[in-house]
Amino acid sequence: MNLSSSIRGVGYRFGSVKDVLAKSNPPKSGDDLAGISARDAVERVAARAVLAELTLADLRANPVVPFEIDELSRMVESTLNEDAYSAVKHLSVGQFREWLLEPTTRGPTLRAVAPGLTPEMAAATCKLMSNMDLLTVGAKCEVVVRANSTLGLPGRLSSRLQPNHPTDDVEGILYSTREGLSYGCGDAVIGVNPATDTPESTAQILTRLHEVRVKNNIPTQHCVLSHVTVQMKALDLGCPMDLMFQSMSGSEKGNRAFGISIALIDEAYAKMKAKTSNRGPNVMYFETGQGSALSSDAHHGADQVTLEARCYGFARRYKPFLVNTVVGFIGPEYLEDGPQITRAGLEDHFMGKLMGLPMGCDACFTYHARMTQDEVESLKVLLGVAGCTYLMSMPVGDDIMLNYQSTSFHDIPSVRGLLGKRPTPEFDAWLNEVGIMDGLKPGERFGDPGVLKR
Amino acid sequence: MSFTRTLIDNLRVKLGAMDPLPPPPPLPVVPYPPSRVFPTPRRRSAYAEAAAKHTTALVGIGHVGTRYATNVVLQFQAELAVAHAAVGTELPEGWAEANGLLPLHSQVTSHRQFLLRPDLGRRLDAPSLSRLGERARRGIDIQPILADGLSAIACMGSGLTLLGHFTRECEARGWSVGTPMCARFARVWLEDEIGETVNCKVAAILLGERPGLGTGDGLSAYLVYNPKIGRSDGDRNMMSNIHARGAPPEQAARRLAVLAGAMLDQKTSGVPLNLHGLDLGHEAGGGYRAPEPRVRLVYSGSDSSKEKA
Amino acid sequence: MILDRIVPRVLSVRRLPGADPALLAAYGADPKRHYALGLVTVDQDDPTYVALDEATKHARVDVVFAKSFYAGSAHASGALSGEILGVIAGADMADVDAGLHALIRCLEHDACFYTANDAGTITVFPHVVASLGRYLSAQSGLSVGQSMAYLVAPPMEHTIGLDAALKAADVRAARIFTPPTETNFAAAWLSGELTECQAAAEAYAAAVVEVGRSAWDRNLI
Repeated sequence: MNLSSSIRGVGYRFGSVKDVLAKSNPPKSGDDLAGISARDAVERVAARAVLAELTLADLRANPVVPFEIDELSRMVESTLNEDAYSAVKHLSVGQFREWLLEPTTRGPTLRAVAPGLTPEMAAATCKLMSNMDLLTVGAKCEVVVRANSTLGLPGRLSSRLQPNHPTDDVEGILYSTREGLSYGCGDAVIGVNPATDTPESTAQILTRLHEVRVKNNIPTQHCVLSHVTVQMKALDLGCPMDLMFQSMSGSEKGNRAFGISIALIDEAYAKMKAKTSNRGPNVMYFETGQGSALSSDAHHGADQVTLEARCYGFARRYKPFLVNTVVGFIGPEYLEDGPQITRAGLEDHFMGKLMGLPMGCDACFTYHARMTQDEVESLKVLLGVAGCTYLMSMPVGDDIMLNYQSTSFHDIPSVRGLLGKRPTPEFDAWLNEVGIMDGLKPGERFGDPGVLKR
Repeated sequence: MSFTRTLIDNLRVKLGAMDPLPPPPPLPVVPYPPSRVFPTPRRRSAYAEAAAKHTTALVGIGHVGTRYATNVVLQFQAELAVAHAAVGTELPEGWAEANGLLPLHSQVTSHRQFLLRPDLGRRLDAPSLSRLGERARRGIDIQPILADGLSAIACMGSGLTLLGHFTRECEARGWSVGTPMCARFARVWLEDEIGETVNCKVAAILLGERPGLGTGDGLSAYLVYNPKIGRSDGDRNMMSNIHARGAPPEQAARRLAVLAGAMLDQKTSGVPLNLHGLDLGHEAGGGYRAPEPRVRLVYSGSDSSKEKA
Repeated sequence: MILDRIVPRVLSVRRLPGADPALLAAYGADPKRHYALGLVTVDQDDPTYVALDEATKHARVDVVFAKSFYAGSAHASGALSGEILGVIAGADMADVDAGLHALIRCLEHDACFYTANDAGTITVFPHVVASLGRYLSAQSGLSVGQSMAYLVAPPMEHTIGLDAALKAADVRAARIFTPPTETNFAAAWLSGELTECQAAAEAYAAAVVEVGRSAWDRNLI
């Protein structure tokens, strides 16, 4: 395995596969913070030249966190689909990138190869791709999942309705929910981040959202994004729960900081499959985001793109209905500005889809990051072009509880209209039936929350 | 070469393929525009009115096609400008002393470095560490720490009120409370080093949270049992949105004291802490409190006089 | 722009060596002489008739079957049907292959319809066959090697265009197909010297374009 290259006669040597992966990464403030990024643009290209020659087999043998100290590395290794893996293992990362870009490599093929890819392979390929490469391959991937509705079909763009409230006032949550539904949002999930992390409030919010859904016969699912242990207790209280949520990190240590482990999520998944109120078969919802491992000092010297891909390696074990990268939420210490957040959103979507996950993206920024409203609006269109499964949606994109700027109720029908995309077929039929939409155009009751029965 | 194709290509040129483009058709007649096709609503919609009793989320704002009306765009941009201004504000040197608080400083030296290097914001600089060792009470139950975090405006605003209420709540429960202090350029995990140094059972850092749209006055509180360097996020419990529109400081202080009490009882914090039956919201809240309405920020032209009224 | 090429799309090509004698007979082949068939479907019929004729000039094959489908490719019975099925037959698969190659080459590089208005909603086929092969010569009653103008357009355009063609050049009408053909067009085969056939095709195309631009006669009060 060669770990050296030269550019204009200057030789570069790298210490390990992990080092090559880190130095190949496009500039990210989080990698600078971790002290692992390339020292300049030339060294970055030198690292990519080495990476392009490594084979996928080399990457499988060298996970960025060693097997001995990390259950995620071990789990990915022991559950890898050997048939799918053997179809591509001989390719170098550079060849694999080209194979992905070939017009003859289409959705079903990509879906078949996905279970044979380790997170390190997805991350390595990502580092050799430009933003438009990421769009091109991302748009080819087809990942279709089903709960109460069918998500991820071609030509569709879904949205999570996020009616958060700083004090969990359920009436306030429902006002935002009805408004969002009247703009055609919420076909992926109506998901509330609770301010109070207790089983009782989780159960209460779920029960009230369930009433709205049932009373209006809306084909979607609901979720309260409390800690997984809290949701398990809420299930024991006997409340309806369409999707079970958890945030994930890319290493065992990072997950410990989130209070989770593979064993815990296995247990939660088993419980959810038995008790969910959704038709299935997909019942889980996971959120990720570059930088989360480093924020709990659990990165093991690896770069944040590779660690993000490792979250997807964890998530795919549970055949989730939704995976969401909350790309700009973490703050400027990990993604400093508009270009870095844009790049990360496209990277995460590409890697997740390549690994066979229904990727959504919270295209967002916090008010202390250097991203403008125009930049985040552009990112939403790019994600739509890339075939992103779903975006978020909330009143004027303003999360009044989590204090950040995301996608608005108005943005979802706007992006759909621009790109000729529609919501899930079940939800689309409902929107047309009640008059919120008229095909691709706003219908008579568009933006009128009175269309919903209280 | 095909006979016919050559023949038809030549005919195509003969029939005008190389001619300059024909003049554009005359512009369509613009229908007479009434001066107010889209009258700016003078009052909120009934839905917005009803929703405002329960949430500050901007709902019932209508739409133009699938986009916002102009007045909504301007309000939104003004709120964004307020948030960005809040982030840019720094806690002035000397503010802590002036308010009777022990001044502490993280290892951060500039505002940009504070944003990009949270690791430096989690550790005290050498002078602060020695000052803490010399002047702070040790071996106490609770160590409250006021800090700037991501909004110095919030820290200077309701920070002192929250610190005062929280201290009184703790003392009323018979716990010993540490020296009041305020840390500059501080991140949440700074409480670990401070708590370890003063040897407290529970450290509680009260700091400005990331500004929201149109606001920069929110505080968050992070509590950890048996603080020491190396604690992670799963070891902490937090309360966010401590401001007039969320949990007001007095109410929040009571909830935080209940939380601290649970930590002292169970001798743990974070994920293992059992919150079941604590009923944090109601015990501390004392009934529902309607949020304040969102402030209209933009007035112009004939409207401007109303702002003063 | 007018007179843009509309290149035919070959929708299917199949080789059939050793076809069943009953099938050979039904499709007009001679089981004694013909062993192999080559079949194509195309989305334009008239270019295909020209291309089938072309095949007879390049290989020892006979055009045994060629029929247009009713109402044309916009109303095709399936994705592969287009508006014509053409069948060539030969004694040997290699002959049929050579014929198919000549046929496809002709469709790609020579015979095609053209747009006759800017919207592309009127089309015209003003084709000149420099030298007839065995198939079209038999169909038209002309001799192998003669030149022929093969003119097709919608009914009104065709009628005006044909008159213009006959008056513009020294040609005679070998056959006139009044509307509707199977595909609801109208057609004519004119013979004469090569240059005269070219002049006729050019006059025909120009007239079809002119009718498209002024559908209502300006002299009508």
